[in-house]
Amino acid sequence: MTALVSPASPRQLPVLLRGEVAPVRSWVAEGNLARVTFHVAVILAGAGIYGAAIGLWRSGEQGLFTAVKFPLILLLTTAGNALLNGVLAPLLGVNLSLRQASVAILLSFSLAATILAALAPLVLFLVWNVPPLTSPAVRDAYAVIQLSQVGLIAFAGIVANVRLLQFLRDLAGSRAVALRLLIAWLAGNLLLGTQLTWIARPFFGSPNLPVQFLREDALRGNFFESVLYNARRLFTE
Amino acid sequence: MNTEPPPLPGQSIPDPTEAAPVAGVGGTLEALLRRPRGVLHHLHEPGGRRLTGLMLLLALVGAAAYGLIVGSFSGGLQWWAAPLKIAGGLSLCGLICLPSLYVFACLTGSTARFTDVLGMVAGLLALMAVLLVSFGPVAWVFSQSTESVVAMGLLHLVFWLIATLFGARFMHQGMARLGARSEGAFYFWLCLFVVVALQMTTALRPIIGTADTFLPTEKKFFLQHWGDSMRSADREQPQ
Repeated sequence: MTALVSPASPRQLPVLLRGEVAPVRSWVAEGNLARVTFHVAVILAGAGIYGAAIGLWRSGEQGLFTAVKFPLILLLTTAGNALLNGVLAPLLGVNLSLRQASVAILLSFSLAATILAALAPLVLFLVWNVPPLTSPAVRDAYAVIQLSQVGLIAFAGIVANVRLLQFLRDLAGSRAVALRLLIAWLAGNLLLGTQLTWIARPFFGSPNLPVQFLREDALRGNFFESVLYNARRLFTE
Repeated sequence: MNTEPPPLPGQSIPDPTEAAPVAGVGGTLEALLRRPRGVLHHLHEPGGRRLTGLMLLLALVGAAAYGLIVGSFSGGLQWWAAPLKIAGGLSLCGLICLPSLYVFACLTGSTARFTDVLGMVAGLLALMAVLLVSFGPVAWVFSQSTESVVAMGLLHLVFWLIATLFGARFMHQGMARLGARSEGAFYFWLCLFVVVALQMTTALRPIIGTADTFLPTEKKFFLQHWGDSMRSADREQPQ
């Protein structure tokens, strides 16, 4: 019966959270525009609320900026990789059209955004309790915020991908095929997503840099280059 | 003659004590202590929202009453500040952790509605408040006979942990009733609730002792605050 949930009803969210495969399969197959619009709105609202909570540690302005940027990264990753993900699905043995693959990925991002929205009050509480920018312990506070965000976003991402895997396994009829496609999608989304995140920085911002919507050198360098540079510096200095 | 058909295979026979009505503040209090399954049963029935409201009221009144006892240690401003902080802090903890409990419940396959989860959290807070009030006389005796903030803090912490333990048992039964297929998410949520509540006591300090301001001017993690409090108590200890 849950397959009959109206395309714009919030009752879809518990169905997604529970990982009910049958209704999700019908939603992906039908590709209803109202449903797609609803899940885009869930991503905007859910990831936006979470983004605002993390940005607030720095300032209200940074909260607003992050509330705009964070959902955009999820939506731009879905849109930017739509073609690649749609091509990979049939190539790796899962019968999904380009539109269906995009809807499946959109639903998994919507699930992650829902989880993040539920965790936003905890993040706000954390932000309320860590030392402010004016405190001598600002470096510790920055590290606490950074680590907690990595943990929470990773949790939401893992859950969303486990649910996506369950759906793909049902569709492909084979765990190995489903896993192969999920890994391929993840690799593509990780590549684009991390670079978009790099361009859209700052999210809560290094304490010694100003609050900005985008850094002046936003398009300079890339995430992987930065990781490599930091690793080299760590081991050679 | 009994005309009711026998239950279908696999269908549980409803316990008559569960279905017994839960009415009024006294009835809710008694049901929470004697037959928590009855409370959980009625949360899904018509009138479940009223029951939730009653439990929230019980939680607020009970926490404020316990706060009075906590405030009696320092007196003065704490007569009203401690009840306000304990009732407000407990409600805020519930509010902060409520959305994540709903999401975790759904992730474990539960078909719970948001109002069901709200009812369970209200039950948890009410049960905790009732237990804290029952520890009240003991806490009051100690409040009047010791001057150590650290000793009183430890005592209140032990009472709070016991209350949380019983509250968690109620929640555990509730999660099973809502069809949760695994317990891991519940225990993870419980850890979150405990950490948030412990941090709340630091964020709203002073609750037991005194200070120049109503809320702290310095932000601290609760373990750091406890360490600082114990070190300052050591320095003040008469040699």
